[in-house]
Amino acid sequence: MNEAAIGVGHAGPRGALDAALLAAHGSKDRTALIGLYAEAADTADDPVARSFYLTHAYVFALEAGDALAGSLKARLVARGAETEDAP
Amino acid sequence: MPDDLRPAAPLAETSLLAQVGAPIEQARGLPNAHYTDPATIAAENRACLETTWAAIGVGAQVPEPGDAKPVSFLGQPLLLLRDDQGTLRVFYNICRHRGMILVEAPRRIEGAIRCPYHSWCYAKDGRLVATPHVGGPGQNAHPGIERKTLGLIEVPSHVWRDVVFVNLSGDAAPFEQTHAELIARWAEFDLPLHHGGSGSSFTLEVATNWKLAVENYCESYHLPWVHPGLNSYSRLEDHYHIEAPGRFSGQGTYVYRQLRGEDGTVFPDFEGLSAKWDEGAEYVALYPNVLLGVHRDHAYAIVLEPVAHDRTREHVHLYYPVPDTDPSLRARNAAQWKEVFIEDIGVVEGMQRGRAATGFDGGRFSPAMDGPTHCFHAWVAGRVAALEEAKG
Repeated sequence: MNEAAIGVGHAGPRGALDAALLAAHGSKDRTALIGLYAEAADTADDPVARSFYLTHAYVFALEAGDALAGSLKARLVARGAETEDAP
Repeated sequence: MPDDLRPAAPLAETSLLAQVGAPIEQARGLPNAHYTDPATIAAENRACLETTWAAIGVGAQVPEPGDAKPVSFLGQPLLLLRDDQGTLRVFYNICRHRGMILVEAPRRIEGAIRCPYHSWCYAKDGRLVATPHVGGPGQNAHPGIERKTLGLIEVPSHVWRDVVFVNLSGDAAPFEQTHAELIARWAEFDLPLHHGGSGSSFTLEVATNWKLAVENYCESYHLPWVHPGLNSYSRLEDHYHIEAPGRFSGQGTYVYRQLRGEDGTVFPDFEGLSAKWDEGAEYVALYPNVLLGVHRDHAYAIVLEPVAHDRTREHVHLYYPVPDTDPSLRARNAAQWKEVFIEDIGVVEGMQRGRAATGFDGGRFSPAMDGPTHCFHAWVAGRVAALEEAKG
């Protein structure tokens, strides 16, 4: 996976998403981070990048105790990026 | 200089410790090095604080599920953590990945603890639940990383009277066995304790070794001199010694008088107490580092945090038999106790400074009045000597 695959430095709509992600990191807004990383996963072309973003959405959901953690994990497991044993 | 005023030649450490354990009429107190010398204190810490059940906090500091409080004890980064079922555990406050500190300040864990370094995540019961990218980008598992073996490292802990005790060495006998005698002695007080809230906790920073706080707390000898306000109703002869060698010591009073509001309001009693406690109260130092008090209508715990050889934090927590007591009476009670504990600071700091005197030989004990303090000294000396002997 290269930098372009994870969206760093993109202009246009993707650039706006990157900027929103940086802002959410800056303000430690976990709810926003979950949504934005899920959105990044949905819009990524590269399968590795998709797992990468889904992982971040899942981790922040897990940290926040957000109900989305379950479905995000299921998507990761389905992609072979996570194991069933983890809650 | 007359010979009897000339400092004696230094004795070997083992001889000095043997003198501490002698009958009180002949005993001397712990040598200066136990208050001033880092190497001696490190060995003593091992004997008295790491291999016993030492107090590090109270349950009221993490009252709700998910509450986490980092604590440093003897330089060890620990974490008090209450899970969703209400169980309180103590862990090392570090990630199993690169040893990063996990929780920097007290806070509520909503879902999981996420390490701020590489985002490994831990459940509130300590299980490792996520290892993002551990197998490469977007791959969150790896055959070499078995999550079930990499949960937070738990430290043996026990909660009694809301005090959280830990055994850092992991090889002490169970708490209930070690302290069966005091548990039995205070069985009548084995009832729910309700912390009085933020106004019922305070911390005193004291420039003294933690042992001097124990030593002072144990005995009633100093009361008329250091706490003259108590003389009006609690005289020296109204107190008795409590001595359980190797476990705890302290004092009791026959004349405890309840605090009353202007309208005569008192705190409610703990239910089912025998008549002994109508005017009785007891104050015990449970070795090594917690000072406890029980009365018919309230109790307290003072957790002594050894910060340095000459610095101690005294964390005071007041408890009541029911959750909703009169706020103004609670405030008065806290203020009253705070005044008493502040009165003690001058003497425990003075004794610490006095330990710089090379001619001091550990001092002597009043055979009639200092039994509980000697009991504590003998315990410290005995544990240090036993550890040295075990080392060969």
